[in-house]
Amino acid sequence: MSKKKIATVWLGGCSGCHMSLLDIDERILDVAKLADIVKCPIVDGKELPEVDIVLVEGSVTSDEHLREILHIREQAKALVALGDCAVTSNITGMRNYFDLKEVFDTAYINAVSNDKEGSVPGHPELLKLRDKVVPLQEVVKVDFVIPGCPPDADTIFYVLFEFLNDRIPNLSEVKKLRYG
Amino acid sequence: MTKISVTIDDKKLDVDVGKTILEVCKENGIEILTMCHLKGLTNTGACRLCLVEIEGVNKLLSACTTKITANMIIRTKTEKIKRYQLITSELFFAERNHVCSVCVANGKCDLQKLGYKTEMDHIRYPYLFPQCEVDTSHPWYVLDHNRCIMCTRCVRACSEVEGAYNWNVMNRGYQVRIISDFDTPWGESVTCTSCGKCVHACPTGAIWPKAIVQGQLEKKPEIIAELMEKRKMNL
Repeated sequence: MSKKKIATVWLGGCSGCHMSLLDIDERILDVAKLADIVKCPIVDGKELPEVDIVLVEGSVTSDEHLREILHIREQAKALVALGDCAVTSNITGMRNYFDLKEVFDTAYINAVSNDKEGSVPGHPELLKLRDKVVPLQEVVKVDFVIPGCPPDADTIFYVLFEFLNDRIPNLSEVKKLRYG
Repeated sequence: MTKISVTIDDKKLDVDVGKTILEVCKENGIEILTMCHLKGLTNTGACRLCLVEIEGVNKLLSACTTKITANMIIRTKTEKIKRYQLITSELFFAERNHVCSVCVANGKCDLQKLGYKTEMDHIRYPYLFPQCEVDTSHPWYVLDHNRCIMCTRCVRACSEVEGAYNWNVMNRGYQVRIISDFDTPWGESVTCTSCGKCVHACPTGAIWPKAIVQGQLEKKPEIIAELMEKRKMNL
């Protein structure tokens, strides 16, 4: 059996899910026996190559995220939404209660720490925030979801290990379904 | 007491007459999902989670408000019911802000448990993001409309157990809200006795005491039934 290729991506999230992924500790060796990690935020990877499994943390908050997730969908056989932000938009989505302008003004102009001298950054190189934050399944087909904020390391390892052994994981069956 | 025969999930049972399907199921260890039901309060059939199939009836009926009658053949765990229960819990989560990770009730919430029981891993419906207020005007308690699922357990606990009639319901559909008195801040209420029964009756993080931090919320909804039982004994 040839080794599988896996990748992890960090979109609009806090990286907590990746921290939780690192918490699988020495079990990363079991993963490494079955797969090569070809891209993740702590590996230097420019473009996502074709992979068997990709874990995507965070929701789609900007034009760049949208481009990235559409590309990921083309490159990955199985797309796994990792964590509450990717699955439900979670805290990232709480700015949807406000207009985008109000959000920018609150952060860059009206925040107390700005001493009334702030301005909204508008450099053309910067990514552009979308009006509303959406979870992954609103823009691409998602093959599996791991809710949790963040999901337990045990849960992430369970899902990875099942996929790497060509089995479909079932979070409810193993009592690992959790939000928050 | 007169006994009648019924069949629930292919199990033949002899049960007392005059009880609801939910009561019979609970007595016989048959699990039925509920949200708006709370022992000690009247049933309203609002949450639609306890729907059951009854042979010969061409619609689903709520177990909490339907009295059991002789020879009923009831099914509580069919694929259709499970599908409806999943949809119901998804719609609860899609309506207001139910972000568990920043909720005071995280890990102690009946809505969260409902999601696990219905095996809901994501929500297929668009979120509504309604503007909801957080009323912190009461000296001890907080009412967060974002977490409210309109089960009205607080309304019934306040009127039926405490007799204060502080809580009520305003508007309909998407704009429905729990209100204190005539939609005035809870802290200014002239009817609220600050007894705290609504806090314990609330199944989510919609009503909670200020003196707690996240993950430390302990609610005792069973006190409502205990109180009602003790009052009956006094009579």
